[in-house]
Amino acid sequence: MSPRPRPERRIAFAIRLRLALFALAGLCALGGALHVAGRMPAFGAHPLPYGDEINRRGVPERHVTNMVSAVNFDYRGFDTLGEEFMLLCAVTGVTVLLRGTRGEARSAQPGRVEGRPILPRSEATVLLSRVLAPLILMFGLYVALHAMTTPGGGFQGGVIAATGTLLFFAGDGYRGWRRLIRSGAMDACEGSGASLYALCGFASMALGLPFLENVLPLGTPGDLFSGGLMLVENAGVALAVGGGFVVLFIEFLEETRVEPPEEAPGDAPGHATGDAPDGARS
Amino acid sequence: MTMLLIGLLLLLVAGTGTAVALSRRPLRQVMAMSANGVALALLFMALQAPDVAFAEIAVGAAALPLLFLVVLASVRMDRNPQGARNE
Amino acid sequence: MSATSSAAHWASLLPWLVAIWLFAIGLYGIVTSRNFVHLIGCLSVVQASTYVLLLAAGYRFGGVAPIYYTHKPGTPAVDPVLQALVLTDVVVGATVSALLLALVLQLHKRRGELDPEKLRPMQQ
Repeated sequence: MSPRPRPERRIAFAIRLRLALFALAGLCALGGALHVAGRMPAFGAHPLPYGDEINRRGVPERHVTNMVSAVNFDYRGFDTLGEEFMLLCAVTGVTVLLRGTRGEARSAQPGRVEGRPILPRSEATVLLSRVLAPLILMFGLYVALHAMTTPGGGFQGGVIAATGTLLFFAGDGYRGWRRLIRSGAMDACEGSGASLYALCGFASMALGLPFLENVLPLGTPGDLFSGGLMLVENAGVALAVGGGFVVLFIEFLEETRVEPPEEAPGDAPGHATGDAPDGARS
Repeated sequence: MTMLLIGLLLLLVAGTGTAVALSRRPLRQVMAMSANGVALALLFMALQAPDVAFAEIAVGAAALPLLFLVVLASVRMDRNPQGARNE
Repeated sequence: MSATSSAAHWASLLPWLVAIWLFAIGLYGIVTSRNFVHLIGCLSVVQASTYVLLLAAGYRFGGVAPIYYTHKPGTPAVDPVLQALVLTDVVVGATVSALLLALVLQLHKRRGELDPEKLRPMQQ
């Protein structure tokens, strides 16, 4: 069924041909690239008209002190809506691809690699992970909440919190991690974050204003709850990004588990067959 | 002084990027990718972009290398021809 | 005087040269790759070259970060528009790399092979 494999010398010839073409194209492009690099405006010493305009107007107009968040959620809020849905599409694609072949059953048995022993987890790892994971989650929440005042925002807070949950995996094993992170809850988190962002736009339209126009009271600059509608959009982005990344981790880590054995209808999947720590020899 | 720092960090980013592209073994490349993420985050901090540095540290040094490692582990497990994993 | 000014001229070209170099070396890695996972890693290097280019284009000497929490509004700052572009790019680029990795995983399950050279569609 699979095609006849190519002989090695044909592969080597194909690679050399491709490399020659690449070198040729690279030389042609390099001349143009160096010419453009020479004509680029001087690094650090050229005028930034749009940046200066937004820096001048951002604080009095939008009452926030983080200009990057103001650009992301207000001045260019529509682009962020597109980015949100790009993220949603990519995560949905991964889920459909991986869960479609694997099925919906969950299993907690780690897969085996030939000749590789499975070492038990060291106590230092467990202690450090248990101490640091809640701290990192709290830090992610802090970064996500401070979108309007100091460096931070939904994107950053979401990825920090999602990466923090991986410490549960390092410290307590797959079973402990899955007990904490429910796949259905993370799917709901991601979907609700993306739809919250879209609903913000429609809320403005319902009041007769353009899509994503800032309709809530703006507050005082420097306050945690300033910015009006930007706060709701920021919450949507944080939920969507955090939930999306955790869904990605779940789907990929499920790929390293073995298929659960054919079970009688009374058994529930994923239950421990004993109290052995994850990774001990069965 | 700032220019020196930015110049050094740019060279560091170029070096780690070269290491990522030229490491043929996937495990070594994952470590180089992590180093590249940290170097990029430091460069972003030097270019006065703290928001971007936040995102790049978490993504480039932790999340993306983990996904690569999980794919490499999953590829090395035994599989029977239909694609189901062996015990 | 001319030595320092030409040194300054070369120094101000460095960010654009690093961006070109990263793009070229990433593309070279993709062209000569023998492992699909290695190919996706090189793609992330190509993406990094665009981040360096955008952020270097928005930099200003002596500028502060565009956060006016401790500075008075009106201090010269770097460009926030380009930072907003790169911020969303970093997060979404990681997700798209994850999608590519899922495709590679499915490919390995079907064909048992991760070498792009050995995975040609149809040959007689």
